[in-house]
Order: sequence, then C-alpha cells, then structure tokens
Amino acid sequence: MTAAHTDRPAVTPEEPVAEPAGRRLVTRLAATPEIGVIATVIVLFIVFSAASESFAGVSNLQTMGFDLAQYGILALGVSFVILTGGIDLSLGSVVALTAVVSAWLNARAELPAPAAIAVTLLLAAAIGVLHGVFVTRLGVPPFVTTLITLVAARGAALAITKGFPIDGVSETFTDLNAYRVLLIPVPTAIFIVCCVAAWVFLERTYAGRQLYAVGGNREAARLAGIRTERRIMLAYVVSALCAGLVGVLITSRLSVGQPGVGQGWELTAIAAAVIGGISLSGGAGRVVGVAFGAILLVVINTGLVILHVSPYYQQIVLGLVLAVAVTTDRIRSRRLARARRATP
Amino acid sequence: MTGLHKAYGTTTVLDVPELVLHGGQIVALVGENGAGKSTLTGILSGIVRPDRGTVEVGPSTLRPGDPVHAQQLGVSLVAQEFPLFGQLSVAENLLLGRPPAGLFVDRSAQRRQARALLDRLGAAIGTDRMVETLTVPQQQLIEIAKALGREPRVLVLDEPTSALGPVESAAVLTAARELAAAGAVVVFIGHRLDEVREIAERVVVLRNGRLVADLTAAEATEQRLVRAMVGAELSDLVGEPATAATDRDAFTAAGLTAPGIGPVDLTLRAGEILGVAGLMGSGRSRLLHTVMGAIPRTGGTMTLGDRSYDPGSPADAAAAGVGLVPEDRKHQALLLDDSVRWNVSLAVLPTLSHRRYFLSPGRERTFAAGAAAAAGVKCESIEQPVRGLSGGNQQKIVFGRWFAARPRLLLLDEPTRGVDVGAKAGIYQLIEQAAADGMAVLVASSELEELMQLTHRIAVMSRGRLVRTFDRDQFSKEAVMTAATTGAPR
Repeated sequence: MTAAHTDRPAVTPEEPVAEPAGRRLVTRLAATPEIGVIATVIVLFIVFSAASESFAGVSNLQTMGFDLAQYGILALGVSFVILTGGIDLSLGSVVALTAVVSAWLNARAELPAPAAIAVTLLLAAAIGVLHGVFVTRLGVPPFVTTLITLVAARGAALAITKGFPIDGVSETFTDLNAYRVLLIPVPTAIFIVCCVAAWVFLERTYAGRQLYAVGGNREAARLAGIRTERRIMLAYVVSALCAGLVGVLITSRLSVGQPGVGQGWELTAIAAAVIGGISLSGGAGRVVGVAFGAILLVVINTGLVILHVSPYYQQIVLGLVLAVAVTTDRIRSRRLARARRATP
Repeated sequence: MTGLHKAYGTTTVLDVPELVLHGGQIVALVGENGAGKSTLTGILSGIVRPDRGTVEVGPSTLRPGDPVHAQQLGVSLVAQEFPLFGQLSVAENLLLGRPPAGLFVDRSAQRRQARALLDRLGAAIGTDRMVETLTVPQQQLIEIAKALGREPRVLVLDEPTSALGPVESAAVLTAARELAAAGAVVVFIGHRLDEVREIAERVVVLRNGRLVADLTAAEATEQRLVRAMVGAELSDLVGEPATAATDRDAFTAAGLTAPGIGPVDLTLRAGEILGVAGLMGSGRSRLLHTVMGAIPRTGGTMTLGDRSYDPGSPADAAAAGVGLVPEDRKHQALLLDDSVRWNVSLAVLPTLSHRRYFLSPGRERTFAAGAAAAAGVKCESIEQPVRGLSGGNQQKIVFGRWFAARPRLLLLDEPTRGVDVGAKAGIYQLIEQAAADGMAVLVASSELEELMQLTHRIAVMSRGRLVRTFDRDQFSKEAVMTAATTGAPR
C-alpha cells in the first residue's frame, strides 16, 4: 500500500504546464462575453429544427429574416444610445410615424419611392437631433426625453392617418421587400449591412471608441478632450435613423402605412441589446452580442409559434430568457473577476 | 488581534501574528500601497473576513466579516472612498443609521446635531446642502464627522487628510487627538510621514502583509520609516528640478476670471514647473479647470505659445496642446472597467487613426504598450482592466495618456494623491521629464513639501486670487503658509 504511494510521480503545481491548444481555445471562448447568447442560439436552432421539419426550411428562414431585420436594426440603433448611458423609448412610435409618413409621401403626395424614403429618413434623423439637443443642451434625462416622443410620435401617426392605414403605396416601394439577394430578403441584407457598419464604427473608428468612453465615464471623457455632446447627439441620431429605416421596411412589407405598428418594439429592441451584453449603465457591450441577441429573440418567437405554443406563454418565455441572460452575465463577470484576482 | 491571515487565491496579502492596540493612543499604520493596510483595517471593521485569526474589541470577540457587529462594538471606519448619499443633505448623511427619535423626522434637531459635529472639525459647510454638490475635500470632512458622531471606541482613519488643505487637516488631527484623549483607539493610515510623526504616539509599519516595524514616535524618524516601508533611502526623494526653465514664454494668463476665481495673472515658461499652493477652497482646482476649458471663463485673456488661446471646452484645450491630470482619477480620469490600452490612448485617438477616422488595432497596441512603459506603469498586460491596478499605477496611466499627446502645457491637480512612496518618486520623475522635454507644467498640490522639492516657483492662491509668487530661493513653509492663510496681496 505504501509502495503504491511512492510510485506516483510527484505533482508540482507551481510549475506552469503548457496549456494544450484545445484548452486555450476553451478559455478564450469562456472569456468572450457573447458566448452564452451564441451558444443558446445554436442549441435552440438545433432543438427547433429537430422538433419541426419546416423550421429550418427556406421559406421559414426568410420569414425569420424579415422579423430579424425589424428587431435587429432597432436593437443596433438603441445599443448606440445605451452605450452612452442613455435609453431610447421612442423607437416603436418612431417606426409607426415613419411608416405612415413614407406611405403618405409616396401614395398621397405622389413622391417617387426613393424620394419618399429619403425624406422619411431625414425626418427620423431630425427626431434624433431633437432628442440629442434635449439630452445634452437642456439636460433632460433620456428616459423622459424619449418618453415624450413615444407618446407624441404615436399621436402624430394616428393624426396623419385618422386611424386608418394609408394604401396605394407604389410597387417600387413594395419591391424592396420582394427581392432576394442569394435567397436573402433585402431587409435581412440591410440588417447585415447595418451590423457590419455598426461593428466598423464601434470597434474600428476613434469616434466609436469615444462613444464607449462617454458611456463609461462621461466626466473623464470630457476632461480627456472628447466632445461628449457630439457623441451623444450622434447616438440618438443613429437610433432614430434605425427606427426610420424599420418604418420604411414595414410599410414596404405591409404595402400600407399602418399607424398601429411597432407597439412595444422599443422594449423588444432593448431586450435584444441587453441579452446581447450591452450594459444598461453604459460603456460596455459589442455588436456581435446585439446581433445574436436579436437572432435569439426571433428564433424563440418563431420556434414557439411553430410548436403551437400559445402567444401568452411566449411572453413568459421571453421574460425568462431575459432573466437567464442577465443572471448568467452577472455570474460570468463575477467569476472572471475572481479568476483575475487569484492570478495576480 | 491575533493570528490574522488573509489570502486571495495563492497570494497572501496579510499575515500578522499579533497586534495589540491600547486605548487612549493614536497608532499610525504606514506602508506602501498593497502592503496590507486596507486589508488589516477591513478585517478590523468587519468588511473583510480573515481566513484565520480573531479580533477582540474590549471583552468581546468580533464576528468575522460582520460589519454591523463591528459597529456595535464601536469600530468606525473612514474609508478613502466615501460611501455618501449624493442626493441627501449633509445633515441626513451625518445622522444616517442613527435610531430615529420618533416616528417623524425632526429636521431642526437633525440640523443642530449635524452642526455640532461639523463644528468639532471647524467645517463651515451648510447642513442643508446636497452632498453631491460638495467638493471632494468637503465630502471627506463629512465622512469624518459622520464617524466621530458614532462616538467610536476604535476609529480607523484611512488617509483622512490626503484630500484636505493644511487648516482642515489640522482640525481633523485635533479631533483625533481629543478622541484618543477620551480613551478611544485611533488608527491612522497615512502617506505623509511628517503628519504621521506629528500625530502618532506609535507607528506600525506593514510591508507585503507583514508587520516589519513597531516604533514609538521618538524612534520613527522619516528615514527609518521609509526604509522600513520600501527598503529605499529618503534621499532619493528629496531634490530639486533637474533642469532649469527656458526663457521662452509658454503660457500666460492676464486678468483671468471665472466663477470663484480671479483675476489671475500668470506666466509660465517652457520647461518650467510652477506650483500652485493654497488652502482648500482657494481655487487651485478651479484655476486648472478654467485653463483646461472645463469651467467657462468670464473674462481675461490667455496665450499659449505665441497664439491667443480661448478654449470653449476641454476638447479645444486638448487640440491646442493642453492636458489635465485631474484630482479624482476614479471619477474624472479613468474608465475603470476598460483596459490599460483604452485608457492610455483616450486623449490621442484621432492621431492614432489612419485615413482620418479608422483605428488600427496593431498601431494602437504598439502605441499603448510604449506609452504605458514610458510612464512606468506596471501591469501584466495592456488588456488588463485598470480597476485592479494600484493607485500609483492608475495615476501613471493618466500621465501616460497626456505625455503621449505631447502637450505644451500640462496641468496637474494633486498628482500624488493616494499614491504610495515608491510610485510618488516615479511620478516626480515623470513630471521632471515633462519639464525637461520642454513642457510647461502647472502643479496644484495641498502638500507643500511636494511643491517645494518639485517646482521652480510656487504661486500661492487665496480666495480665488493669486496672492504671491515665490522663487526657489525664497521657498519657506512659513512664508507660503502665511501668504495662503492671510491672503495678503503682494
């Protein structure tokens, strides 16, 4: 018995053993904050595909692509604002207003579709500028500023239409929704382009880095010579522009300007951003996470519909997903912090 | 306290077999950052749970890691970070946690009690002001008053005077003496050795978590303390500017006014280090912030080099070649959760970009590694979050940020606040190097010794005005203090 003991090679934990390549990959993945969302998306995709043949079919994927364009573009936009430490509650109402305005310009004012879209996007940008001015110059809290628009823009959409959808939108307009690029619907392609643009801006330009700095510590950013007001202004303009873009895509998808669309979408967009790891206190989170946060919501929504789960339960599931996302993020960051302390 | 031991992971941060503190005594606890002072006082006040060992206060044994129990036993801690409620008034903060006298809040009684506490420190702060509107030094005074108000048997003061001017510091020290005279134990953590020697009857030195010296006030000479703390000689630290100022004017202010300051006339030459001394509230910080464009000026003109200089914001100032290392690095300078790389490149991002807008990751990494090394930052990797670094290293990162921008004028507000002796020497070298490189340096500090060994000239401020300027051969503590306290214009 004692001989067996001495035969064992002496273990020297002090000596660092070269980590095998596989383990290094695992530790790197574990250090990637977005890994949880991405893994969940993959797992759920496999589960739903196994549960229903039609889930992974081309036509269902394209339908999901349309939904993804709506929520995903909004989530990207609102992420800019959240990164600066603000919030944008106006998204859903701005979607409705721009949907209605683009339809009105095209069908009633008989502007050609490209012009109608351009004017609509200008309107959206103007709303963003207004938010920026309120927040930076007048010091109105972002919550209140965008709450005003949440109410007022919805009202404007209803006033313009008197509550009825505007029809007679031109074919060029609806074509936006009909075309496919390599089987990918145009709106989905637009979402992908938006993701790439947002990634380039946030990770590869100095203005993007400054946006993070403003959200991380506004006073420090200001004293380091960053024009904080411009960065905040930019975030609100991007957010409103994204809402305008989604408004245009909705009118194209429905072929009418529908004043009731977009109710509560701001919350879905914020949820996607938070699930994707955007910190509500500002200054942290990445585009990859937001994209997969939006994909996750769409996968869950569509999957539950295909499995014939009642819409009431879908809301509960979404709530649970949000809860899980937030808690795992907390636990993960705490573990990382502890691991870092243990290895000085 | 017996057999205390605390380790994080495999790193032992504290290993003290026994330490007995007697009532009626002021004990100073000194040591470099990371020596274990905060861990020791944390255990004492129940915030940190020791791995082994016990703390006895009088007859009772402290339940480890139970801050409420520690308070019940009469242990009161004044930390370096102030856990104050910004949205509440001074009086409410002071009396927080006291059992209410009745169902309703008696505001006038609150005000009276708060006033009495503040008067013990000679602090003229309105009891109804919201705490977030106060300056850092004023908040520090509130925090100390709050601890005094609990009538503690053991009072731990963690660098209570680092944010304070000389007059306020003296008041705090007097209050500590009174408390000790009444029979309490006062544990005083300090970096200013002259102050430590002045107040403490006993000095305990920690190094790397171990108790390395336990001296009486008479034994604790400055040299002996420094040697015990770092194993280095004090003579490395005392000196004078290595290079002389040039005769080229780098910056002038004429009749500069802003809310709370002015008119100020000031000339700085390239390569000159000019100190700004003055009591708390004399406008030292305000002057620096006005020059940086962070406080809008109301009158006067400034020139930088041979051009007129009119900053509307810190961004304008930075573009013109002015940099500021602010007083409160956690709130005013650092992105704590972001990496060393992000923090060090923050002020020069546009110049690191190619094709005007785009950041090149490789170029940024090379730059950040170089800038951090040049400033003497010690870190495992430039991707490490700055939150985990020591105060000295964090401060060097802020220095590195501005050095990289190569400003003509560098503004330093309390550059060595909360920094240990070793890092202090490193920062002094950085400042001298900046001057040697031809920058004009304006240093505001509440530590007169620091200004006397570091600067070419000292300008004294009082009530927002510049009352006197001393050349190096006129430097004397008494003269500067007189000018600061009497505010007599030259």
